[in-house]
Amino acid sequence: MILRLLKSDVAILIILWLVAGLLGRPLQAAVGCDLNDPDRDVKRLFPESTGYKTLYLSIAQKGGEAMLRRVEERLGDRFQGLYETIDVPYTMYQIFKGKDLIGYIHGVNQKGTYGGIQVFLAVDLEGNIRAFYFQKLTSQYGKQLRDKAFGNQFVGLNLRDFASYDVARGAVKGEGKVAAIRNPAPQAEPDFRAALRAAKKNLILIDEFLLGDRYLES
Amino acid sequence: MPKPMSLALRFLGSLLIFSHCAGRALAANYLFFLEAQGVAGYSSAMKKTIFFSMSQRESMQKPSLGFDYVQRFSGASGDIAALVVQARLAVNAEGLDEVEPQLFNAFVRLRLAGNYLWAGHNRPKFGLASWFDSHGHLLQPLSMSGFGFDRDWGLGFERDFSWGNAGLSLTTGSGMPLYFKGNYFLSGRIAGGVLDRDNFMTGLSAAYGRVLDVEGYHLQSDEPVLFEMVGVDSTWLLNNLENRLEIMAGRKGDSAAWAFLWRTGIGLLEEGRLKLEAQPSIFRTAGLTNLQLTAGVTYRADADWTLRAMVQHDREMRDTRFVFQVYYYKGLRF
Repeated sequence: MILRLLKSDVAILIILWLVAGLLGRPLQAAVGCDLNDPDRDVKRLFPESTGYKTLYLSIAQKGGEAMLRRVEERLGDRFQGLYETIDVPYTMYQIFKGKDLIGYIHGVNQKGTYGGIQVFLAVDLEGNIRAFYFQKLTSQYGKQLRDKAFGNQFVGLNLRDFASYDVARGAVKGEGKVAAIRNPAPQAEPDFRAALRAAKKNLILIDEFLLGDRYLES
Repeated sequence: MPKPMSLALRFLGSLLIFSHCAGRALAANYLFFLEAQGVAGYSSAMKKTIFFSMSQRESMQKPSLGFDYVQRFSGASGDIAALVVQARLAVNAEGLDEVEPQLFNAFVRLRLAGNYLWAGHNRPKFGLASWFDSHGHLLQPLSMSGFGFDRDWGLGFERDFSWGNAGLSLTTGSGMPLYFKGNYFLSGRIAGGVLDRDNFMTGLSAAYGRVLDVEGYHLQSDEPVLFEMVGVDSTWLLNNLENRLEIMAGRKGDSAAWAFLWRTGIGLLEEGRLKLEAQPSIFRTAGLTNLQLTAGVTYRADADWTLRAMVQHDREMRDTRFVFQVYYYKGLRF
């Protein structure tokens, strides 16, 4: 019976799909990191805003393997796991006041102690952080990490500040603004490091996709 | 092949072509996923291999090929609306319709001053199923046991607040197919908590209407029946544990109806790739009480492939069922 079906119109549709697949190229392998409620979240992060636009971007689409290697080099770590594939879709929000672009919001998925965590940044047009927050974090220490005081330590930082953060070792080289960020829950050190890695990754992706590699050192 | 089936295939083909064209014209404003699944199992009551998870006549789950498409529309100063289409061609191993076109999402959602309005085929605001998308899962909430609808045709309104979410919908009460036989389904849900932010959410739902008795695309009776029901659903997360609870009570047809469902799960391995779940549920409709005990395992092999298995005991049917699913979900850009 299954064989009979495969010879029928279903086969035609499957061929259509395959042709579609050949016409296209892989974009995303997992659902991206969206704001829970964009209207509410955008207004909270940019009170002066009047609207936002949602963009879907991927490394595969923008720069392929070469871009992936560059992003990994800038991060100082390899992309791995379910949410760091070349074709994962990144949902980026352009924030408007009237018709003027005033900033961006972007979230990334990051491997945490218990499954994935989601770290969102709101940045101005120069790539300076206006707000940092966890959207998803199921750890029992979530309350301390979600505390505003923790997020406020990231405000004003940009990608240049994160250059001193060695993601692979989870340590800061020398002094600097990132070195001053304190972990409010020492028992949750892996999630604290995951948050720093996510923030650096997030800023790199914003720079690559939206800021024209403003912070890329030649 | 019967004529309606050919028409349905053409419809899906047209949607595919439309989505390609839309994608080409509005790159970066859309998501397009290819979905495919293989489903097979064994039923002790039927004493044979089965190619469905619930029943041959139900929509979920069967071997199928489909797509999931989201297209956003923006003006000069922001997003205005979104078109969402999610469709499948499922294979029936038994019955007259060998191939069954299935339309899950088919709606337009408008953004108006912080409110969302939708029209089309979407999730009505009633119970866990109103926000928890299970259309690829083996374990199902109460909507698939006759307590509400997984999808229904109509209109809806929704608003998010700092404390949660509230919404209302007026739909046809016909589920997957669209019928007008004096049927309607008015439902609403108000929820406290934002799950991703608070790791907790509790919703109160209420519904009233005259609904049709449908199983997937199959109409069981031409006569709509009374449906009046209230419900509470709750979800909470802690570390790698998940719990979901759903309770409903009211009247369906001429008799009292109530239901209780609890799903508990634990995520294991890196990124929670392995999930183990157990779901006892008990419900009473049309004077019959039924108990279902279900256990499931999900393994995300990589970003595209997911393997699922389920064992379910149904006391009323005196059936123990083992079901396996291979699920593929891959994004494409054109």
